[in-house]
Parts: sequence; C-alpha cells; structure tokens
Amino acid sequence: MSTMKVYDSDARQIPVISQIKAIYENRGLLRLLVIRDLTVRYKRSVIGVWWSLLNPLFTTAVLYYVFNTVFKSKLPGGAPFLPYLLSGVLLITLFNQGLTMGADAIATGAGVLSKVYVRPEIFAASAAISSAVNFIIGLVPLTIVLAIYHKTPTWHFPIVLLVIFCMTLFTTGLSLLLAIAYINFDDSRSLINIFLMALQYMTPIFYPITLLGPHTRDVIQLNPLYSFLQIFRHEFGNVGVSTLQNWEIMGGSSVVAFIGGFYIFSKRWPKVVAKL
Amino acid sequence: MSQELIVDAKVISLAYRRTRHRVSSLKQTAIDTINRRMAYEEFFALKGVSFNIARGETVSIIGRNGAGKSTLLKVIARVLPPTTGRVIVRGHVAPMIELGAGFNPELTGAENIVLYGTLLGRTPKVMRSRIEAIADWAGLTEHLDIPIRAYSSGMTARLAFSTATDITPDLLLIDEILSVGDADFREKSAARTTEMMNGGCAVLLVSHDLDAVQRMSTRAIYLSDGTQKFTGDPKSVIEAYLSDVHH
Repeated sequence: MSTMKVYDSDARQIPVISQIKAIYENRGLLRLLVIRDLTVRYKRSVIGVWWSLLNPLFTTAVLYYVFNTVFKSKLPGGAPFLPYLLSGVLLITLFNQGLTMGADAIATGAGVLSKVYVRPEIFAASAAISSAVNFIIGLVPLTIVLAIYHKTPTWHFPIVLLVIFCMTLFTTGLSLLLAIAYINFDDSRSLINIFLMALQYMTPIFYPITLLGPHTRDVIQLNPLYSFLQIFRHEFGNVGVSTLQNWEIMGGSSVVAFIGGFYIFSKRWPKVVAKL
Repeated sequence: MSQELIVDAKVISLAYRRTRHRVSSLKQTAIDTINRRMAYEEFFALKGVSFNIARGETVSIIGRNGAGKSTLLKVIARVLPPTTGRVIVRGHVAPMIELGAGFNPELTGAENIVLYGTLLGRTPKVMRSRIEAIADWAGLTEHLDIPIRAYSSGMTARLAFSTATDITPDLLLIDEILSVGDADFREKSAARTTEMMNGGCAVLLVSHDLDAVQRMSTRAIYLSDGTQKFTGDPKSVIEAYLSDVHH
C-alpha cells in the first residue's frame, strides 16, 4: 500500500520542472511513441528508409536543377553548391517535421488526452526525437554528396549532435504552442503554414547570404534557423563558417523556446481541456 | 478500520474564461480584439462539488447535458486541476474511453495492445507480458501480427475493450457503459464490466441510462448547472432528477 500512487490536486507543481519530470517518468511511453513513428515510416513501406529521405532528396534535386547555375560560384569560400543545398534542406526538414508532427499529434489526440492522464508534452518530445533520427539517417546521403566533391565530414562532426539536441528543445517547445493554436482556432493551420513558409525563405537554404543587402542580412541573421544551419554546415562538412553569435542564438533560442513553450503550455492546456 | 477512500473531493469548483460568442477562428478573434468587441465571461462548470468514493463503491453522476458531468470526470482523472477545492485520488486510475482512440492503424494488433495499455498508464513491460491473454480474450490470437487497418470495426473494438479491461484499477472512470461487438461479445463484455465493478475497485459512472444507474450504483449525485443538487441513494436521486426534468 505504501507504493500506491496518490494524486493530490493541492500538491505544488512547479511548471517546466514538473513537466520534465513527467516526461522522464513516462520514458517507457516516450520510447514506444518514437518506435511507433519510426516503424510506421520504415518497416511498413516498400522502399523502407529511403521513403523518408525521398522528400528532402527530391526537393534538393529540384532546387539544384533550378539554382545551380545562378548561385554556383557565389558561395562563401567557393563551397560546392550541392552539399550546401542538401544540408539546408535536411535541417529545415528536421525543424518542420518535429514542429508539425508534434502539434498534430496533440491536436488530433486532444479528445483522448482530455480523458486520460497522459502528459501531452510526451507527444511533442517524441515527434522531435523521431525527426532527429530521420535527420541522422539523412546524414548518409549528405556524406555521399560530400564525397562527390572529394570532401569528407570534418573530424569534429559529432558536434552536430549538439545542433540536434538544441533543435529538439526548440521544436518541442514550439510545437506545444502550435498545438494550442491548432485546437483553439480552426483557421490557424493555414496562417501558420504561411508563417512557416516565410521562415523557410528567410533561411539561406539555397542562396548565399552574402548576396543579400546589409539590412536584409541583419534581419536574416536574427532568424534562429540561420544560426542552426550555419553551425551545422560548418561542423559537419566544413561548408561555410559559423560565428560565436550563431552559437549564442542557437543556444539561447532553443532554451527560450523550450522553457517558454513548456511554461505557457502548462498554463493554457487546462483551459483548452476544460472547453473540449 | 474505516473503509479505504479512493476518491476524496472537497468543495471543488471549476471556472474558466470563455468568449461570449464562442469564437473559434483566429481571424474573427483578431477583428473582435481590434474593435474591442471581445466579450469574455467567467463560466463555472462546477460549483462546490463534494463527494467521496470508497473501495468497492460505485458512485453515479446524473444530470442534463452540460450539467458538468464530463468536467467532473476530467477533474477526477487529474486531467483538469480544480480552480478551488481539493481532490485526492489514491491508486491507479483507468478511464473507459472511446475504444480504440489510441490505436494506430499501421501497427499490428500486438504493437497496439502495448501502446494502448501504456497510454492507459501501465508499463510497456507489463503490457508485453499480457499480449497473449488480451488477444485470447478478444478472440484475435490469429490476427495479432497483422496491422489493424485490416481489422473490421468489431475486431478493433474487441481488442480495445480487452486491453482496457485487462487489469482492475483502483478507480474506474466510466463515461456511459460501452457495449461493443456482436451479441455474444456484448454479453461477455457486460459480464466483464460488472466483474470489474464488483472486483474491489471504486467506480465513478456517468450515465444517462437511469436503469443502469439504479442497478449498479451504491450512491448517486444529481448535477445541475455545475451544482450538486441531490446526493444519496440512487433511487431517490433519480426520482428528484426525473421530477425536475418533467417540470
């Protein structure tokens, strides 16, 4: 009897800390959800792993075909265009996938989540983690592409794990906010898609930032995804350079998004559930 | 020794701010906010509800739609913290939710048993050891390794019911008694529900089926507009409710 779980609504819950604790206590469920995402994606489809890479590889192929001649010789340090482009597409896919999958999982599961005590944060975290796994698989074709240009990953490429970790924090926090918007407002999806599209174009995926005017460049450098991308390109394939400011923005934005997202979610979620 | 209390709810209230016109689009919200036409009201879904449930008891909640029954279930399920008052729930809580809501059509029956059971608060390890027994009870042993998108809706419901009711929790939350499958399985599942209810757990039942409420519960609560109008033995509470409805 002493091991019996007791729920006391008066027990003090410190936001963020109690949520992280809940995710840790339910790591069994978290693991299952990640495995579920990956099984559904890989095991059941005929072309397996390549299926999840189809989208980024195809996007890369199209962008390469169209922009190759335009930007070829304009990249900083004379970096080859294809690895530059593919790393951009892979990183933006990591962001988009983690963000929308997590928010979708919570929004579609809201009916169940309002009846069973399962912390929705677990769904956001599992989406971010399975996107990270996909991203790591995507590093294989990127390595192949580097090899085409007689390049190899850098000796310090494991630092990319830090980029992935920060991105996991970043998308987990943001997807919680997105989930609340999805549930509260029927028309939020289309508006958010416009915003995400704008964010993508504000990230130098296929163009070199050096081609932009100084003011535009200043604005784009404030986009957190720019910093994530610069660091990733530099640390993995030595394509371009990253600055201390990039590291500050990446670290800062991921911590702010994570803590802010969790905090706001802990305050808003009960209000969402009450209205369901 | 007094009976062990599983649920102890003391003067719980639940209030939230809602928009008067139930705006659900971002566009409309923005327009109304700019024009200062956003009208909010404080809505009390529950007002000072108190009750307790001891092990072995079945307490039923009756009342009209919108009386606060589902909100009360959410508060007891700990999904929704009460605005004021205090709730204490001891032990493992299992809700009987829309069956199969946690299922993924691409996963096999066995994978779904583990995932669904874990969502309901059990551990993956326990669930893995119960796969055979759960499938056997649902009569689906031969279909365990195929994705459930190939199942009929009856098969899915059977698997979900069997998974949900595999263990007897300390507190069972029921939002309308479920009846699934064909006549045979309905009888079997009704028997299992009764068995669970008598199996030493506390039960909180929300139902519009007044016959079932009278038959199954030890006490009943009549909720009206979030307040607890009558509490007591099922028969007299049902009478009070009916006389209200007919007026």
